[in-house]
Amino acid sequence: MTKNIRWICEKCNKKWIHPVDTCIYCSGKMKKQIGTTLKVIGMTKVFTPSPPHPIIPYNVIMLEDEHGNRMPKKVMKDYSLGDSYLDVADSSDNAVSVVKIKYDFYEAVKEAIELIGDVKVDAATKILIKPNLSIPGYAYIGICTNPKVLDALIEYIIEKGAKAENITIAEQSFFVPLEKAASKSGVINVIKKFGVKYADISLTEFETVNAREFSFEVSKIVKQFDLIFNVPVIKTDMILGIDGAFENLTRFLSKKTFTELAKDPTKAVNALALLPSILSKFITIGDASIGMQGNGPAENGEPGFFNLIFCSRNPVCHDKIVQEVFCLRKLPYVELAGKLGAGAYEMSKIKVIGSELESLRRDIKQPIGSRLIKKD
Amino acid sequence: MERYVKGVGMTKFGIEDRPIHDMAHEAMTLALKDAGITAADIDAVVVSNVDTKINDERQRMYGLAVSSLLNRQMPIIVVPAVCGGGGAAFWTALRLKYNNILVLGVDRVLANTTPMITKEIMNAGDNFWEQEEGLAFPAINALVAQQHMLKYGTTVEDLNLIAYKNHYHGSLNPKARFFGKKVSLEEIKKSPIVASPFNLYDCSISVNGAAACVISNDKTDVKVEGSGLATDYLAPFEREDMTIWNATVVAGKEAFKQAKVLPSDINVAELHDAFTIVELIAYEDLGFCKKGEGGKFIRSGYVNLDGKMPVNTSGGLKARGHPISPTGVSQIVEIVDQLKGRCGKRQVKDAKLGLTHNIGGAGGTITVHIFRKL
Repeated sequence: MTKNIRWICEKCNKKWIHPVDTCIYCSGKMKKQIGTTLKVIGMTKVFTPSPPHPIIPYNVIMLEDEHGNRMPKKVMKDYSLGDSYLDVADSSDNAVSVVKIKYDFYEAVKEAIELIGDVKVDAATKILIKPNLSIPGYAYIGICTNPKVLDALIEYIIEKGAKAENITIAEQSFFVPLEKAASKSGVINVIKKFGVKYADISLTEFETVNAREFSFEVSKIVKQFDLIFNVPVIKTDMILGIDGAFENLTRFLSKKTFTELAKDPTKAVNALALLPSILSKFITIGDASIGMQGNGPAENGEPGFFNLIFCSRNPVCHDKIVQEVFCLRKLPYVELAGKLGAGAYEMSKIKVIGSELESLRRDIKQPIGSRLIKKD
Repeated sequence: MERYVKGVGMTKFGIEDRPIHDMAHEAMTLALKDAGITAADIDAVVVSNVDTKINDERQRMYGLAVSSLLNRQMPIIVVPAVCGGGGAAFWTALRLKYNNILVLGVDRVLANTTPMITKEIMNAGDNFWEQEEGLAFPAINALVAQQHMLKYGTTVEDLNLIAYKNHYHGSLNPKARFFGKKVSLEEIKKSPIVASPFNLYDCSISVNGAAACVISNDKTDVKVEGSGLATDYLAPFEREDMTIWNATVVAGKEAFKQAKVLPSDINVAELHDAFTIVELIAYEDLGFCKKGEGGKFIRSGYVNLDGKMPVNTSGGLKARGHPISPTGVSQIVEIVDQLKGRCGKRQVKDAKLGLTHNIGGAGGTITVHIFRKL
């Protein structure tokens, strides 16, 4: 379901590879022309590595769609001229889609969801969206979930039949008033645009859930919805390795639980691994449009312009693939969660769709910490 | 307004790790000396330089760095157009209403590892459609070459002949990276693949260097007869036909029209051979041969040193070297030297009309200039 997108003037038929809203020649309205039937018309095998493409050799195939529009695509597999190029959706829990954003967030988010078998929603479906608004930050810093990703997700599920009044964006911050993060990141504008609901999880009721040696205070909000989208921004984290699907779930816990776990990193690792089993089922949409690399997850990191959307029904598979794509160190809590049966951890059992894993791998700045960072 | 070239100069293109100001100073000094004037006689400067972060002396305000270097205050503008920057700077300078204008191209890109340089040059492609999909410049041009092969039957052997010719020429040019180094056709054929169907010798070589020239209203023996600049879509895959680089067609037509000459009148040319296919397509798009007959054209020997119109007597980007912004100016240096009969063993006999063709990006910004020996 790889898409080739053009923005085409309805009046004069001029085409653009960039999203433009009005024709600069005739002021005509623009429409999207999306090609999905893709044929290989050219290819090159590349033997020169570069930082974003370190694994060689790789192929770049030139695809042509049913409209005669072309697009290049990096692949590891060998193709022949005339071959069809097709991604097949996989609705299993072990599937992770990874989609490159071609300027259009809506199409990327839609494609990422479609590739894991799509979602079923209707006018009665109650939907919870859980972004990362833990620390205030402008969208371009990569600290919070990109409002463009949330905008795309809401637009898509409304288009699928959901009602805005049944959609809630919920989050809490353990550090600042939530409004501050929602406002600074621009997420508040998305909430206003669609008229969706907004909830501060810290103000919700919590109940105690026991799992293994832990006792968690979990927000009851997770039980009030039919469908949950976990939408973390993908960030490096000096303590956890990455902030992905698992870390984003921690803010379904009470501040008290979180603070207790944070005191003991070993304990935290074991507790994090249990989160998928104590929460409802959810879909993770990993926002790596502008993520973070280096000494994240806050201001000591730096924006990573990864331009990717990850999507999976399983947080173990999701975070494992994020770790693999960005060549980060092993995440013990994800591995443990896999061992506890929360999802597939072994690479042989995870299916990556949308792009080949090897074609995506790149080194990013690792979260190694620095003596220059103040301990507090 | 009639324009003349008063003087030219360039550093040796190579791997020497010299500071940018040092290379710029040498090229400017040589051009001023050749023009018989001093820095005090310059009325304006147009400089081209890549704002690169791969060396240790990043300087975004390069125009002011030149001001410091010249130790003078005067109009200085920067015209960046990556690999086409030198030609674009020259084109801009021709349109300025000053008498003596110094055009300078200077870059130090060979100051990092090959992957880092590859990434840096890749930045001249579209970020999301090309860079993210691994389209390093060899790959972009390899895909173009493949389309040309599929459409017109051009062969790898045709491309090898271009590499062989330019390396032979470069071996005769003391300013070239490959001066004194002969490369056999066998070596070219057996060189490692960079991006299929390209092997190593299909690709130009990165070097450091600087080149300068002085344009003047004062009459000299080299007149600028034609000057064209045109642009095209950033990415070749956007174009209707990947094998036609329309900016070359448009800029070439304009230059030929101004010069009132035909392609067949040109005696010597410097064509942008960042990759062998780029030179071959330029034969066609500039009208030296029919579309699709570039392969036949190189096989005919027309563009060899002993042919009717030798191409890239300097060695081209292939063998003289490609320092990015200075490339377009160094082409002008070569053509002026050819017209003045200063090229020694690679001298083209009785050259009266010379042409330069410089490209920024994959056919994105293209300049064509025609020079006449008076």
